[in-house]
Amino acid sequence: MTWRRPPGAYDRPVSPADDAALVRAAADGDQAAWDALVKRFGGLVWSIARSHRLGTADAADVSQTAWLRLVENLGRIRDPERVGAWLASTCRNECLRVIRRSGRQVPTDIGADIDLEAEETAAPPVDAALLAGERDTELWRAFARISERCQVLLRLLITDPPPSYEEVGEILDMPVGSIGPTRARCLEHLRRTSGITAHLADSQ
Amino acid sequence: MAEDVQRPDEAEDERLIESLRAIARRVDPVPAEVEDAARGAYTWRTVDADLAELAYDSLLDDDRLAGVRADDAPRTLTFEGPTYSVEIEVATDGSQRRLLGQLVPPAAARIEVRHSGGLLRLGADEVGRFSAVGVAAGPVSLRCLVEGVDGPPLDTAWVTV
Repeated sequence: MTWRRPPGAYDRPVSPADDAALVRAAADGDQAAWDALVKRFGGLVWSIARSHRLGTADAADVSQTAWLRLVENLGRIRDPERVGAWLASTCRNECLRVIRRSGRQVPTDIGADIDLEAEETAAPPVDAALLAGERDTELWRAFARISERCQVLLRLLITDPPPSYEEVGEILDMPVGSIGPTRARCLEHLRRTSGITAHLADSQ
Repeated sequence: MAEDVQRPDEAEDERLIESLRAIARRVDPVPAEVEDAARGAYTWRTVDADLAELAYDSLLDDDRLAGVRADDAPRTLTFEGPTYSVEIEVATDGSQRRLLGQLVPPAAARIEVRHSGGLLRLGADEVGRFSAVGVAAGPVSLRCLVEGVDGPPLDTAWVTV
């Protein structure tokens, strides 16, 4: 049994060397280079915040803190080619603090046994007009009810463009080899929670 | 692309992931204000300040959490710079924060509280104590200029309060 990386994870038009060049240019005073970093990694940082089930105000705060931390560290970042993972880890750190502050349980140890029981939490309101039909609505509602650990992992994996498993391992402090199997268990958890069966997924 | 033969359930997993990705893209993209704010963060760029990294955060202190926890106990943060440390207590005032600070070793200083509401200018007294009210919840960093000392300012690492 081998677990491969998700298709397209490496099909990026930008290379780590390009990312490093953007960091160096931004450190030298190039606002356009900074804007390019925001465009490139803004989605990833936001996904991290939302995957920890932070509301929009808290998610905006932790995102902004991560970007501000990057500004203050532009000249001293050790591995500028891995600035994406740096940003994501920084954001995750802030998320964990905000969660602690609110008294919630912190979702650590993502690779540990997944509790396959759906949590009885209220799903966030969904704008039905944005979703193509009942299946998508049910799927997204179910996604909001799966365990915190699975949400954190899956939300990161569904980011557009998706991070590599190496990056995921670094951001979530998980062994790279455990990501594939954990993903599979979480998706099964999601299917059970939403009542979606394999052939139904096929027929869409 | 490699000619990988996927097992049937792995192909279904990929389809489910792609469905979720498409939904997330539609219902939860990065808000424009968040992206604008991130671009604007660049204006805080400073070339010559020293950085005081966060060395202690009571929020992540497991020993403290193991004991009885007062919900309104202030959060304490310690930032360590090359020659000075900055300790602050953060108390909540509804949607705002109050800061009580201490420069170590004690020294009079000018303090600038950088927060999402702008900038608060205040002074630390001769024993290094300072306080600030009306700090907006969100990212915060303190810039400290010790009196009578030449050299770069000391900036505390940005944290979310």
